Amino acid sequence: MISSRVAFWLVVPALVFLAIFLLYPTLVAVRLAFTDGASGVFPSLESFRVLAGDGLFHRALLGNLTLPLVAVTLELVAGLGLALLLSERLPARRLLRTAIILPFALPEIVFLTILRRVLEPHGYANGGFALAGLPGFDFLAPGSMSAFFSVAVVDAWRTTPVVFLILLGALAAIPGEIHEAARLDGARGWQRLRRITLPLLGPALVAALLLRGLDELRIFAAPLVLTGVEGVPVLSTYAYHQWADYDAIGPASAASLVLACLAVLASIPLIKRRIPA
Amino acid sequence: MTDLRSVRPYLLTLLLLLLLVVGCTQRRESLVVVMALLPGELPVVRSVLADFEQATGMEVQLVAQQYAEIRRAVAAEAAAGRGTIDLAEFDVYSLLPASRHMRPMEDVGTAEVLAALEAETVRAGRIDGLRFLPLRVSWQAMLYDHEVLGRAPATWAELLDVARRYPGRIGFKAALYEGATCDVLPLVWSAGGNGIDFEDEGAIAAFDFLAELAPFVDPHSATFKEATIAEALARRELVVEFNWPFAMALYESQGLAPGRLRSAPLPAGPAGRTTVLGGGYLGVPLHAPHPVAAQRLLSFLLSTEVQERLRRELGWFSARHDVPVGDTTGLLSGFAAMRAEVRPRPEIPGYPALSRAWQQAFRAVLLQGVAPREALRRAGQSFRPSAQGKR
Repeated sequence: MISSRVAFWLVVPALVFLAIFLLYPTLVAVRLAFTDGASGVFPSLESFRVLAGDGLFHRALLGNLTLPLVAVTLELVAGLGLALLLSERLPARRLLRTAIILPFALPEIVFLTILRRVLEPHGYANGGFALAGLPGFDFLAPGSMSAFFSVAVVDAWRTTPVVFLILLGALAAIPGEIHEAARLDGARGWQRLRRITLPLLGPALVAALLLRGLDELRIFAAPLVLTGVEGVPVLSTYAYHQWADYDAIGPASAASLVLACLAVLASIPLIKRRIPA
Repeated sequence: MTDLRSVRPYLLTLLLLLLLVVGCTQRRESLVVVMALLPGELPVVRSVLADFEQATGMEVQLVAQQYAEIRRAVAAEAAAGRGTIDLAEFDVYSLLPASRHMRPMEDVGTAEVLAALEAETVRAGRIDGLRFLPLRVSWQAMLYDHEVLGRAPATWAELLDVARRYPGRIGFKAALYEGATCDVLPLVWSAGGNGIDFEDEGAIAAFDFLAELAPFVDPHSATFKEATIAEALARRELVVEFNWPFAMALYESQGLAPGRLRSAPLPAGPAGRTTVLGGGYLGVPLHAPHPVAAQRLLSFLLSTEVQERLRRELGWFSARHDVPVGDTTGLLSGFAAMRAEVRPRPEIPGYPALSRAWQQAFRAVLLQGVAPREALRRAGQSFRPSAQGKR
């Protein structure tokens, strides 16, 4: 067994790393958020006043509350369905698993650029509609519900494999004898799913929800690549917009701080639940 | 098989010789130049810099970066109190915020170059003294689908007529960024506005015209920037857009120009036609390691010969009187025709706040159906000039 002194020195590199690359930048960001960009006065709430008066920030805040909710729900439903389906002995099961994981294996920007080409007004999807004699549909109309759901579905599609893999692993760990015994007792498929599979999958579902829910709060690339900053705004793209388009580091840091607070708040009830080892 | 011991002396001798060569090589003085270049522009600029190296014996390292990154790099060096960049290129919009990190140039013998440059372009680089000089100037023109329209709309009335005939296929760069201001200011100027007063007659006339256009404008204008609007015209989603010369070079590389897609002057408003000055300006950072050599390179890059070569090989427009725009019939003919109508953006303290107020008003009328006078009134209220810099 290693002594506590050795253990301490083993932890030191990680602590130094975290202090340099996490703690220090976070403290700088907090300072920038509370500094008036024009006068340089610290502390100041000027950056938060800018956020409060900006309609795009209000939309971004709302987007950051609703988009993760829709996307994670889609991911959990799709991931669970696919895991249940592919835990059965289907033909070409390995091929199907690979196909499901492929979107996650592709670089994010490549996947999103392909999907943008598919969904834009003169894109492949509308090309297909035209061939079928159907009217076109504007999937990415800025500020519309269609754009919101397009972003949610695309993002869910890309990250469903994470949920799928977590749940597939948990399903494999459920002993077959339990299902066999239930079947002998006359339990039907739906009853076995509701009374046995789902309760036993509970911890894995919580883990998937925790992992994806927190990650989804930081959603950035999907709304930005598919619709631009103003199309489906979220806090991360809003902060990027303030920094890249306006060089406004204070409001950008303030928006990032709001996002960080949201993530911390969201993680409290989830962390309180027991996470499976 | 050769015995290793037999070749060992030769290997050692070779190693020693290599060490001698490396150790005795005298490092030449090296200038670091940071410019915003497209991949296609790099070989020509490298070749120009090679001529400078040959003439002076100085080594030049060229770093290609985006304007925003250059601005941040120079600011970071200024904050650190030491630097590596000798010469940096900035876009017109960045000149004011970057000026405090740059050296004044008056005392380094720029008189000859200054006399050869157009006064308006030099004025844009004069912020608390002369700090930037124009390497290349640029401005917007109208890009249109020649196959669909046959002829470019020449006036506001004709543009409105095109918009009515092709609803949803007129695009503006109306994302929240400086590009939106570059679309709206020419309209205001073309109606006689000064670009500073939100409720002068020109601004009201321009926004009344925008309100007439609004129902026919592509709703994706809300997110369009230079690159995305250029793609939309290429994909036939639009028939008209307003953009910079790079878009025509892009279309040419895709085989779309000058056949289907062409450039034309911006449509004339009640007070004529105008366009907004853009382009790349060079300056020497405060902590440049070789400021005198950098100044020498700057003078070289602004010489008639180099500017003529850059115009010929890259299509860059020069700010020099003796380097004419050239291309009056080809790819950039629409831009060439606008040469005399170029105006710099309002030179006032707090320009960024003014620009954002124009963007908000532009979007309100174009995309949200707000009445022109109401949008302009709100913009006037929101614009609070701040003392971010002095000119």
